[in-house]
Amino acid sequence: MTAAVATTHGSSHRMPGLWSLLASQVGYQLRLLSRTPRAMFGSILMPAILLALRVGQVDRGSAGAAARTVPLVAGLAVLGLTSTAYVTYASSLVSARQDGVLRRWRTTPLPAVGYFCGKMVAAVLLAEGAAAVVIAIGVAMTGTHLDVAAVPVLAAVIAVGALAFAALATAVTVLIPTAESAFPVLAVTFYPLVLLSGAFGSLSVEPAWLTTLLSYLPAQPLVDAVTGALRHSAGVPPLPGRSLLVLAGWGAVGLLAAVRFFRWEPTRPPHGRTDRRTGDRSAGGSADRPRSQ
Amino acid sequence: MSAVEVRRLVKRFGAFPALDSVDFTIEPGTVTALLGPNGAGKTTVMDILAGLARPTSGTVRVLGADPRHGRREWRSRIGVVAQSNGIDLQLTVAEALRLFARHYPRPLPVAEVLDLIDLTDDAHTRIGALSGGQRRRADLAVGVIGRPELLFLDEPTTGLDPEARRGLWQVVTRLVDQGTTVLLTTHYLDEAQHLAGRLIVLVGGRIVADAAPEQLRTRDLAPTIRLPLPPGVSLDGLPVSLAAHRDPESGELRVTSADLTTDLEALLGWSRHNRIDLTGLQVGSPSLEDAYLALVAEPTGSPS
Repeated sequence: MTAAVATTHGSSHRMPGLWSLLASQVGYQLRLLSRTPRAMFGSILMPAILLALRVGQVDRGSAGAAARTVPLVAGLAVLGLTSTAYVTYASSLVSARQDGVLRRWRTTPLPAVGYFCGKMVAAVLLAEGAAAVVIAIGVAMTGTHLDVAAVPVLAAVIAVGALAFAALATAVTVLIPTAESAFPVLAVTFYPLVLLSGAFGSLSVEPAWLTTLLSYLPAQPLVDAVTGALRHSAGVPPLPGRSLLVLAGWGAVGLLAAVRFFRWEPTRPPHGRTDRRTGDRSAGGSADRPRSQ
Repeated sequence: MSAVEVRRLVKRFGAFPALDSVDFTIEPGTVTALLGPNGAGKTTVMDILAGLARPTSGTVRVLGADPRHGRREWRSRIGVVAQSNGIDLQLTVAEALRLFARHYPRPLPVAEVLDLIDLTDDAHTRIGALSGGQRRRADLAVGVIGRPELLFLDEPTTGLDPEARRGLWQVVTRLVDQGTTVLLTTHYLDEAQHLAGRLIVLVGGRIVADAAPEQLRTRDLAPTIRLPLPPGVSLDGLPVSLAAHRDPESGELRVTSADLTTDLEALLGWSRHNRIDLTGLQVGSPSLEDAYLALVAEPTGSPS
């Protein structure tokens, strides 16, 4: 500890630009995700293993094999990207809140929206990567033809889907008090949705009302949109307007709920109650002795 | 202009009054310690001053601005080290410092801060792999990387060993020497005495004392008799006025004496009769701890 640090104060220097802060936040979030093996498992490894297992059950020489494998590839790509944008995103957000990371960022010059923009953009990039890996494996294993012209539409659909799920994940953290309780809440709100929506392959027996309901929930339109882009054989496929509209609607719902109900502060034990809206902590407990060493 | 101005600050959580008409100012370049038992409102004050919580009523100005509406420029002038670490464990120390430095207009050089907190050798170690003391120093480093004019330290050395605590004291002292204003909360009275030129004692959300450490130590208190006693020693034969002041935790007899001669005569007579070793007997002015304990034991009233 020998440095003489010059801390002469003054405020005439310019604040860093918002775009550079956003780039910094995206890099930061990607670095955190790359160092979280659990995220990589859910996003890439698990869908890839499931894909390999399911494709092995399809007789590629049989009639209609391609028609059966494309929805499977699309579904597992959606499983990977939504696992990234929803499960991994929400888990890391709850951990950041519990560990005081969010509280720390609130005291810096980073605008509150900057943290979430960085986190969401990183989630979209990772979701794109996860979906690309699963689709590439699927194309290689099944021989499915993927038209290059369909890639931009595919990327756009995946980005909108990932943003919608990330927004919903931000909102759902309101229901998760601690990192330990994250998985049960996320599992209950995520796996039934993606399972019924065909992320693990289409379910043959579904009542009509459930099919209708699923078409208005966020996973089914995403699977349909990715399936449509993968099936398109020549030229630029049309944008799946209805699917994108449903996803945008869910994204808006998630954002509005997050803006209204999001908590920055971790849940405290009863003697340190947390103000739900402001995150303020109350005082409590008993008088204790001072400490001397 | 004062660095901090607090006027009639009130904070309620429902019906619970966490802060009740708190008033104080802090001048630039000074170190002020907020003391008080758990639940006294110390962290609530810090949170309000740092813009993390809203007061129920009252006026708060920090570096000339209302923290509730503190803009980016204002936040770039403060540093906060909260009780929780608040740095992602997956980052290395250097990565964390570079990341936070990018958010400030005139950050301190990362290498200098690493040297300041004595973590140069661990610059590329992940935060999660550091010891508790090293993590706390990394936390302080992130708090000061933006070259803050005003630094909030919320129990900065809780849980650290004595050597690590003294290391952190050195860092804080160096920052203060360079002109940084510091407001800290602590449960360690020696820390407050060492670092702060002024102590504000909060009890039940109200200020019960606001004075320099020496003034607080000598406030209206009679001399103190202290005698460490081995476990199991009976106090039979000792006047109740003395025997009632045995500390149940340490076993020490600690008496604030209104009549020193009489009390000492009684103590010496009792020890002679019971063959009690008086090694460790101390008689003197009250310590800061005595003064503090007397303060927090009093019903809350006007500041001294």
